[in-house]
Amino acid sequence: MTSIKDIERTMDFHGEALDNIFETYRLMRENCPVGRSEKYGGFWFLSKSDDIFKVEQDAETYSVKPTMLVPPVADFPMIPIDTDLPELMDYRRILLPLFTPQALAKMEKPVRDISQDLARKFVESGSTDATAGFARALPTIFFSRLAGFPEKDWPKFDAWVDDILYERTVDPERARKAQDAVIAYFDDLIEKYRGRTIDEADTGTIMDFLLEARIKGEPLSRKELLSYCYLMFLGGLDTTAWAIRASLWHLAQDLDAQRKLRENPELIPMAAEEFLRTLSPVQAMGRTCKKDTVIRGQEIKAGDRVVLLFGAGNRDPEIYDEPEKIKIDREDNRHLAFGAGHHRCLGSNLGRRELVIGLEEFLKVVPEFTLGDPSEKWYGVGRLTLNFKS
Amino acid sequence: MKVLLDSHRCQGHARCAAFAPETFVFDDDGFSRVREGMEDVKPENQAGVRKACANCPELAISIVED
Repeated sequence: MTSIKDIERTMDFHGEALDNIFETYRLMRENCPVGRSEKYGGFWFLSKSDDIFKVEQDAETYSVKPTMLVPPVADFPMIPIDTDLPELMDYRRILLPLFTPQALAKMEKPVRDISQDLARKFVESGSTDATAGFARALPTIFFSRLAGFPEKDWPKFDAWVDDILYERTVDPERARKAQDAVIAYFDDLIEKYRGRTIDEADTGTIMDFLLEARIKGEPLSRKELLSYCYLMFLGGLDTTAWAIRASLWHLAQDLDAQRKLRENPELIPMAAEEFLRTLSPVQAMGRTCKKDTVIRGQEIKAGDRVVLLFGAGNRDPEIYDEPEKIKIDREDNRHLAFGAGHHRCLGSNLGRRELVIGLEEFLKVVPEFTLGDPSEKWYGVGRLTLNFKS
Repeated sequence: MKVLLDSHRCQGHARCAAFAPETFVFDDDGFSRVREGMEDVKPENQAGVRKACANCPELAISIVED
């Protein structure tokens, strides 16, 4: 039998470790809320919501350098997430205006049109893979247009995302090659924007905002631009796809919830929050301790890595009634799916709307579905096979 | 009932907009504040403001009961 100590020592939140992660989180919360894993060079991990929240608010003690990702997804600091205050806010301010509630209101219709179109095509095509047909397709189309990534390039994106985010713990060399390919792609795209040799070049896209940006009067350097583009590419495509897929994965098994949401679509925003709380695409992010400190009695030394297990905090019984239960009508749902503090996910408002509108249109158009292949997991952006009553 | 928003804590999650759009307003970077004249919460807006408070990830909203 595996001991608690072994589970703590081998704590991981990637790949197969996610199969039973919610049970692992429970054991860690109950037995070692400040644990120590030997993975990825060694790190402390926090599984209690309050501890995670405190670290996120404490920029004096914790830095995101060299990177927030454990293990890294790039061999350079990613802008803005791998920068600390005050530079962080200079970088964030460039794109914040794109994701305000006012800005989001203008995106409602295009997101809805794309969702409806995809859902219809999914039904008409007779396909059963809701990931390719819907969950990944929606952010690929909407976010890429918003970002200004030309349509002819979209077919390359999924494989790059898979290699960088999902293969890095399996085959780092492959992840590395994909990183280089994405950087080369953006190097070329920036050139095309500068030369105005593509149609997307003057439409108020993320690419335009980044190229036009000035920080203290200076434009972003080539290195900064590439880094920001790289982060937008990963953040805008993968996380939203996971959130939509995981929500459909759950609804395929909870037919009561599926029927209730079809009959009462006004409940979908509340349900979406619950899916984000329990099946969040970002299970964990890292920090580096800048000075010796103590969390829950555990000494943490300057230079130590500290991982915030958002997925564990989001199921903390001190915060939620029946935390392991996915209740689509949970009213008080203050969760950490998008983080908190000054590193709050920059695109959270957009991600939320894509998830909500995507689910609304999918349930409107696609008939009742169940899970077609029970071996498919709750996490990631792999295939999601749906069964329909014939 | 009064509502207060700590602008140092707000990070622009905009959850308050989802529950009480009449009470909160956003600047051009997406940070929230209480709309002018809405600090005293009218009875019909109180339920929404309570939800906004309970769902704010940053604990930026506080309520002072009469």
